[in-house]
Amino acid sequence: MSSDLFSFLFSFPPDARQVHQKRDYDSQARSFVQQIANTNPQYFLKGVDTSQDLLEVLHPAVNTIAYLFTLRIRIATLVDNPKAQKHIPEPLRPGGSLWNKIVLFLETCDPVQIRYAGPEWKRVVEAVEVVARVMGTPSLAISPIRSAMIRLDPSTGTFTMTHLSFIRLCVQTRSYSAALPILDNYLHSLGPRIPQQVQESLEYSVACADHTNSGEYIHQMSGHSDKISLADVQEYYILGAMAYIGTRQFKKAMHFLEHVLIVPTSNVANGFMLEAYKKWVLVSCLVDGSMKPAPRTANGQAIKTVRNASKAYETVADAFTQLNNLPKLKAQINAGRDIWAEDGNTGLVNELRDQQYRFYVSDLSRTFSAIPVANISNAVGGSVEELTDYLSNLIKEGSLNARIEQSAKAEVGFVLRFFLDPTQGPLAKTERQQQQALFEQTQRTHILAEQVKGADYRLSLTKEYVEHLKRASRKPTASGGDVMDTTWDDSLEVDEDIMGDH
Amino acid sequence: MAPNVEQSNFFREKRDKGIVVVKDPPKFDLESYIANYDGTTRLNRLHHIGASSTYLAIDAYHTAIAEAKRGKNVKLYLSLVEDLSNIAPDDPAALSDMAWAEKKSREVKEEQDKLEHELKAYKNNLIKESIRMGNEDLGHFYYACGDWVNAHKAYYRMRDHCTSNKHLTDMTLRLVFVSIAQGSWLGVQTNLAKVDSSQLKGDERTKLEPIISACHGLAQMCTNSLRDAAKDFIRTPPLFLTAEPAAGITWQREVLSGNDIAVYGGLCALASMDRNELQSQVLGSGDFRNFLELEPQIRRAITLFCNSKYSACLEVLEGYRNDYLLDVYLSKVLATIYSRIRTKSIVQYFIPFSCVTLDEMALKFQVTGEFASIEDELEEMINSRILNARIDLVDRLLISPPTNPRYDVHSDALSMAEKYDHTLRLRLTRLNLLSAGLEIRSDKGQGKELLGGAGEGIGASLRGIGSKMGFQ
Repeated sequence: MSSDLFSFLFSFPPDARQVHQKRDYDSQARSFVQQIANTNPQYFLKGVDTSQDLLEVLHPAVNTIAYLFTLRIRIATLVDNPKAQKHIPEPLRPGGSLWNKIVLFLETCDPVQIRYAGPEWKRVVEAVEVVARVMGTPSLAISPIRSAMIRLDPSTGTFTMTHLSFIRLCVQTRSYSAALPILDNYLHSLGPRIPQQVQESLEYSVACADHTNSGEYIHQMSGHSDKISLADVQEYYILGAMAYIGTRQFKKAMHFLEHVLIVPTSNVANGFMLEAYKKWVLVSCLVDGSMKPAPRTANGQAIKTVRNASKAYETVADAFTQLNNLPKLKAQINAGRDIWAEDGNTGLVNELRDQQYRFYVSDLSRTFSAIPVANISNAVGGSVEELTDYLSNLIKEGSLNARIEQSAKAEVGFVLRFFLDPTQGPLAKTERQQQQALFEQTQRTHILAEQVKGADYRLSLTKEYVEHLKRASRKPTASGGDVMDTTWDDSLEVDEDIMGDH
Repeated sequence: MAPNVEQSNFFREKRDKGIVVVKDPPKFDLESYIANYDGTTRLNRLHHIGASSTYLAIDAYHTAIAEAKRGKNVKLYLSLVEDLSNIAPDDPAALSDMAWAEKKSREVKEEQDKLEHELKAYKNNLIKESIRMGNEDLGHFYYACGDWVNAHKAYYRMRDHCTSNKHLTDMTLRLVFVSIAQGSWLGVQTNLAKVDSSQLKGDERTKLEPIISACHGLAQMCTNSLRDAAKDFIRTPPLFLTAEPAAGITWQREVLSGNDIAVYGGLCALASMDRNELQSQVLGSGDFRNFLELEPQIRRAITLFCNSKYSACLEVLEGYRNDYLLDVYLSKVLATIYSRIRTKSIVQYFIPFSCVTLDEMALKFQVTGEFASIEDELEEMINSRILNARIDLVDRLLISPPTNPRYDVHSDALSMAEKYDHTLRLRLTRLNLLSAGLEIRSDKGQGKELLGGAGEGIGASLRGIGSKMGFQ
């Protein structure tokens, strides 16, 4: 093993003292990646399984780039294109030595350095997925991929193809709750990168800088993701909604489905929108008890098209709201059994049937302060005992602010008593809790405001502006920086106005 | 005689169809009541009373048939006789006088030919005034025959030949009159608006005021806009009672009388106004007092309501229910008006209490036929958000829910913030997609590309959808 290479591999990252400017770090990192990519792959394979093994010598958290290249080359030589289990060598199988090293790397690597080695990072992540799938244990890939995503971008708000393959894995293996840490983060950047010309004029624009928006270092050019299409984004949102439905977080699921419905379109709908609309109709019933009008941001013509194709769902939603006619929903559900099965929505529709009682009961709270359980059972059927159990479950679940008590009069039996004052009962919130909630919301709004600013900035970089910059850079006297500054200020004010209105 | 009438085919059919039939004798006397009216409305009212009240049916039909025989409306005569024969087959008046009917039809036909011939002659002479009068005569004639559509057409044709504002107003009033007979309330309202915007000044104008507001009120009431109706009736000047005929029509006799205005206006006001408004705008109105004096029971009911004696007020109104059901216009909206007054009374009654026993409510508000018990009625009112209260079925209480404005403001703020947050996210996503150039375009390759791009998980279901979209 040549000591040249050794010292070269250890030459990055440079000592902290040597790098005063992010810009220097950036250029060093870039040239290091360039050089390491040109190095003969054979060097990386020397001394495997000895103490001289590069993977033993290099530290994943410090020499991240070098480690990553080594890993990638090691994986590539072990297995070229795995099609069957037997083609995957022992070390790479889950639990094998190389697999463990990969997992460790993805969990501990340096988040700044992997910004520079996008394609390698992507290939390693893909390899994890492929190996796990071929081995028939796809769920083993979920956790490493998730760590890798969070490592690269703590906000996971910049959409990459990794997002999509991750959520596919989660939905296929039904590990819905594993997907939640990623799903809960709003996708704030799907856009193209900031044009080269603009970036050069910015002081802190290099990839290693402390970006507020991960979209500035994850983009097509950085190699972390393939080119994304609208269908990918829509599929991510639909699968995400399914994961939320799987964990019974219907409100979040509804919000996700709405993201599919509002995609820009020239008056046409696609299959994802139809799929999403059908689920959305059902889910919004589960959330609010009735179907709401489609989000206003959506294209009216497209919504009309999907509505026409989802009549059966709207009929069910309509029957769901008719709380005084409970058998109707059952009849509708039975009548459309084939439709639900074909669309894969049988589970949701059944959920609707089960939850209608819940809405019926909570509707009672608007009319009654106390009602004997026997009266309810007369209206909906079923024995008093069953109903009492059901009601106590609802109360335990937190969907009813009420209590069940035994009446003093024997003939009345069990009584469902609602708490009229929202500050009493099991669902009561103290003022402190409310304040906390408001505070958290304020935080979220601030974050969102930042993201809006980012989007607004990207949107202000029109082709014309970039052209202007190109021309300006030819004449050294012109200063692009000034123009930029005003844009920032402008956008800032507009943003605050937007928030103020709300 | 009475039980026979009640069991007759005619009323049995009506009952089967769910039309209200009044069995008990009303408080008024038919003779003196009907003496208030002339012309079409007299026949119309007699017909309605005959068809609704088993007690007055025979008398009403007798008077109506005799009346119809003096007019030109053969069709009406025949239908009246047929109704009567259904009620009391043995009655001598139940036999239709075919000879008279034939003779009358011939006469009518001759008169129509004559009038049309005359009109043609006028048209040839091209004298505007003659054409106008010819059309007017034809309109009067059709009106007398009960042919409202043609009457309306004839009157409408006068428009081109009117030479003065007075003529124009008269013509429009005639149109109003026909529309009322037709029961086309929209037409009444548009034509009244035209009268209202006419160029008449001074005296002429003051004369029209009462007619406009009274007819407008009637039209509003019949279209269920009770509040507007009440306002119109209340502002009807007392001049209405003594007004001279306008456009050859004595409105207070041929459309609705002062008593009607008092009853309609009073009931509509009770159903649509709160206590302050009733006190200041109805009882305190100098103009409307003149009308209210004609119907003291309405005045009493309103006073009772204002003094929070709701059950007494409802009792008074209940006592007159039969009378009002026999009114040709009121009968259709009476159920709505009464139930509104009742629910309003319950709401008003409950305001000062935080808790009332259901038995007390049942005592104060006697259950009418509509609901089986006071609980059901209250439940219905709460469900339709009229009454803000909760029922305790265990202790049999009606409870006013406690309010906590501070809590409400906090939770409202929170939910609103969440809503805006989400809306903003949706818009931001859309904006990002747009700026990334991602958009669904309507080219045909889209479908294929989509299916190819979809994951295995939902690819199968998407294929199903694709085919379904085709034929749905």
